[in-house]
Amino acid sequence: MLEWQFTLLLLSNGVLIGLMYALIALGFVLVYKATDAVNFAQGEFVMIAGFVVAGCLGVWGVPLWLAVPLALGSMVAFGFVLERVMLRKLIGRPVIAVVMATIGLASILRGIGPFTIFSGTKPLPLPVSDEPFVLGPLFIPPIQLTGGLISLAFLAGFSWFFLKSRNGVAMRAVADNQQVAMAMGIDVERYFGLAWAMTGVVSALGGILWGNMLGVDVNLALVGFKVFPVVILGGLDSIPGAIIGGLIVGIVENVAAGYVDPYVGGGTKDFAPYVLMILALMIRPYGIFGKRIIERI
Amino acid sequence: MRHHLAIVTALILAVGSLLTAAPSHAQSKSEIVIGVQCDRTGPTQIVGTVLCPAFHDYIALVNSRGGVDGHPIKAIEIDHEYKVPPAVESYERHKKEGAVTMAVYGTPQIYALTAKLTEDRIPGTSPGFGSAAAADGARYPFIFPIAATYWSQGAAAVDFVKKQLGGNLKGKKIAYIFYDNPAGREPIEVIEDLATKEGFQLKTFAVPPPGVEMGAQALDIAQRFRADFVIAHLFGGAPSVSIKEFKRVGYPLRKVVSFVWGAAEANIDGAGGFAVAEGYYAMQFAGVGTDYPVLNEIRDMYKKQGKEPPKEMASTVFYNRGVLIAALHVEAIRNALKAKPDGKLTGNDTKAGFEKISNFTLGGLVPPLKITATDHEGGGLVQIWQVKGGKFEKVTDWFAAYQDVVGKHIKEAAKK
Amino acid sequence: MIHRECGVLKTTYEADMALYPLPIARWTVGVLAVLFFLVVPMTVHEYYLSLANLVWIAIIGALGLNILVGYTGQVSIGHGAFMSVGAYTAANLATRLGSPWPVNLLAGGLMAALVGAVVGIPSLRIKGLYLAIATLAGQLIIEWTINHVTFISGGVQASIEVARPRVGPMVLSTQRDMYYFLLVFVGLAIVGTLNLMRSRIGRAFIAIRDHDIAAELIGINIFRYKLLAFAISSFYAGVTGVLYTYFLGIANYEQFQITVSIDYLAMIIIGGLGSVLGSIFGAIFVTLLPIGIRYAMEAFGGVFFSPQTVLNLIPNLRLMLFGALIILFLVVEPDGLNRLWRNIRNYFRVWPFAY
Repeated sequence: MLEWQFTLLLLSNGVLIGLMYALIALGFVLVYKATDAVNFAQGEFVMIAGFVVAGCLGVWGVPLWLAVPLALGSMVAFGFVLERVMLRKLIGRPVIAVVMATIGLASILRGIGPFTIFSGTKPLPLPVSDEPFVLGPLFIPPIQLTGGLISLAFLAGFSWFFLKSRNGVAMRAVADNQQVAMAMGIDVERYFGLAWAMTGVVSALGGILWGNMLGVDVNLALVGFKVFPVVILGGLDSIPGAIIGGLIVGIVENVAAGYVDPYVGGGTKDFAPYVLMILALMIRPYGIFGKRIIERI
Repeated sequence: MRHHLAIVTALILAVGSLLTAAPSHAQSKSEIVIGVQCDRTGPTQIVGTVLCPAFHDYIALVNSRGGVDGHPIKAIEIDHEYKVPPAVESYERHKKEGAVTMAVYGTPQIYALTAKLTEDRIPGTSPGFGSAAAADGARYPFIFPIAATYWSQGAAAVDFVKKQLGGNLKGKKIAYIFYDNPAGREPIEVIEDLATKEGFQLKTFAVPPPGVEMGAQALDIAQRFRADFVIAHLFGGAPSVSIKEFKRVGYPLRKVVSFVWGAAEANIDGAGGFAVAEGYYAMQFAGVGTDYPVLNEIRDMYKKQGKEPPKEMASTVFYNRGVLIAALHVEAIRNALKAKPDGKLTGNDTKAGFEKISNFTLGGLVPPLKITATDHEGGGLVQIWQVKGGKFEKVTDWFAAYQDVVGKHIKEAAKK
Repeated sequence: MIHRECGVLKTTYEADMALYPLPIARWTVGVLAVLFFLVVPMTVHEYYLSLANLVWIAIIGALGLNILVGYTGQVSIGHGAFMSVGAYTAANLATRLGSPWPVNLLAGGLMAALVGAVVGIPSLRIKGLYLAIATLAGQLIIEWTINHVTFISGGVQASIEVARPRVGPMVLSTQRDMYYFLLVFVGLAIVGTLNLMRSRIGRAFIAIRDHDIAAELIGINIFRYKLLAFAISSFYAGVTGVLYTYFLGIANYEQFQITVSIDYLAMIIIGGLGSVLGSIFGAIFVTLLPIGIRYAMEAFGGVFFSPQTVLNLIPNLRLMLFGALIILFLVVEPDGLNRLWRNIRNYFRVWPFAY
């Protein structure tokens, strides 16, 4: 195959994977945008959603059309409960407190996980075929195409939500200045809960899609680490930023794997986005689309 | 109030555990202790949650027959989450309980414990992982791979590929996709050596941990490099992902052979099941399937107790490996007791016991290893099985390949 | 105990500024020193000494991280990487040049300090979460470098065996020898940190944590002190890595991955940010927690579950309990075990009176 064809392949793979990353990053961005809380346990959310669906399908024999709403519902409930029990107490604390709290949460979820599907990697079969679409020189796996479309759908949906709908505007107000929002009569706590519920939904879908791609086991949580370069590049509180950041990370990873790896003996794929991220942090810390101003010394 | 409750609970727990954690010296009567490490919650839990119960099952079987020459065996298992400090602590705890042989689990763990095992003169086994240079019994007298090391696996894989590609590798292209850590990189030098010797073109593709995403590498192998065969050396969840990725880029799985840790039912299940993985070749260092006398004996033992055989037995690849490791430990103890019938074994005795193991096949589950004072690996024997028609089918019998090349590398490593 | 500060009158400035001005504090420290230097190693079984050794190493690492995160307020998730830098520097020097262990120790610490200062450069521009993620990136990059650059890692295995340290004619190899060896360094680290925090540098760190803009206004050079904080903290980390290497006899990068960094963060949070005693408590707690859970489960678990289930349960329970405890401490007692200890101490300070 010609070199440019291979490059095209890499780029298309990067775009599709990037959109999948964006799906996870969306969950993170939603929470941060609405509540200023940093969710280090995003990967574990995805993992638990995957466990629930895989458990439903495999162990308890629940059909797919029931399992998906079940997963969505349980993740939403989980989000509500989490916000109420844990995060409300941590409002106003330094960022390290929230970071460590979500790391603790990640540890708990990792311990509980095996109890739901009793260890081993479980598959998550979806009515999406495994054979790729062949489009000229391009291979497009249907699952990634589905994921990408869902990401874009969320982008459109959430952008509309935050810009036009009443609830979305209220949430933005809460994120901007809680005191003033409360003074205006907005029920801050309700919107916190709503934000976490929305994250739950996004994570559930992410869990289902990634679970199909990777198989569901404890390692599914590790996709959570990809979130950071994505949100830093795109902006911690920007929804289109999550998509763009995801695309950048996906493409950089694939290009690094395809072209840098052979010279340095491999493995650059994972940390190339991080290198890019550090550069971004030095030059433009609030990301491409982020709106927060960070104090600089 | 909640402070008081917490303090009271903590006190109760502390007192309770102190009372019952009084050293249970295992040298009571003539019990023989094996120290077993496991990883049930860390990155390799997919293996540990099946392999360790298998170990205990075999020991239970041996004990139900009166132990070894009348001595009951006690296997103490401690989970270390694939981290090193808990592994060191578990080693010390096992030592305190009087263990005379250690079943170590995990490559960083065996590295961390090598110096201590040698100083304390207790043999430790590292089957299918750890340093391949440890096959040299003269250099590492107390480390026992007791199964094909990664060098031997690499050599055997090349040999198998050669047979699959018609007996001649000249000009062919082989891709080596591996988990980017020391264990994954270890076979590269052997395979590169064989590349010059056999005249094939080798390209390596690293998959960074945790190995959840390897689309670019799969694309490269399938479309740019266009490999004639792929040798895969992945761990944990990565093998399942690799099967799916290869399918996704349209690379036929019957041109892929995996090392021992990507070769189990769990990996196939994770990829979507046996139907999805049709054609995938997998290397094994223990027999596969339920058709072995010792497994029937374990099932009978459970039935006699009125219990169902454990569900871990269905995952035969890892389960049989657990049985193999336990069986080899017991065999070493048996040999040691022959030399010292009074039953007061030390690490030196079990070391000598290991080095006497030969022709112990347990009905075909264990390869015909021959462990000597200089060769702690036993010959580097593997089998290849293939996913066919919904299950694993045996393709080759026990074989080892290019032992001269492997031996050369072992000697070079010993010089360092 | 009762009115401990009463009747303690100093006549010189040195006496007043001493590390332990109260006689009762001096007695306590003396008793503890005798206990740990003499009584414990002589009487206790080797297994418990090995536990103590693990705790000593953790204490030094936790102290270092607390200097950075607790006293200076800079979040860092890269501690494990600095430990590995120190470990590999020392291991390389030991195997290539055959240098004695004091040289290796110092070199490992200094190299780690240098790398730490470099990783800390972003702290001049960013704070909080962004800094945490930048240090995370630093951790990953350092891991990759050590993994792939064979000059540093000593070959494909990325493990370097080091010989046991020698003190004069003695070779330190048993747990007891290691106990004394490590205890000396723990003592140095504790005293060093206590004194550092009382000095000008320490006060600058605390000022930066509390309100960095105000600190800059009164003339503290934030640039310099932040880098210094990273450097000192990484020095501790490097020393921890070197000691760990000598303890195990081998340097292997897989021991210093991100889970280790997170463990140390957990230690200082549970123990208490910004206090030496907190670091010690946290290190003891987090290191011994898994072992404690195992003992508890072995003692009580048999009551509720079958042996096989217990084996499966123990590790999962440990993970859950670990996470739950972190959250518990964050929510209920944000200042950690240190605050609990202070409360107990203050209660007894005026006992039997109420206030």
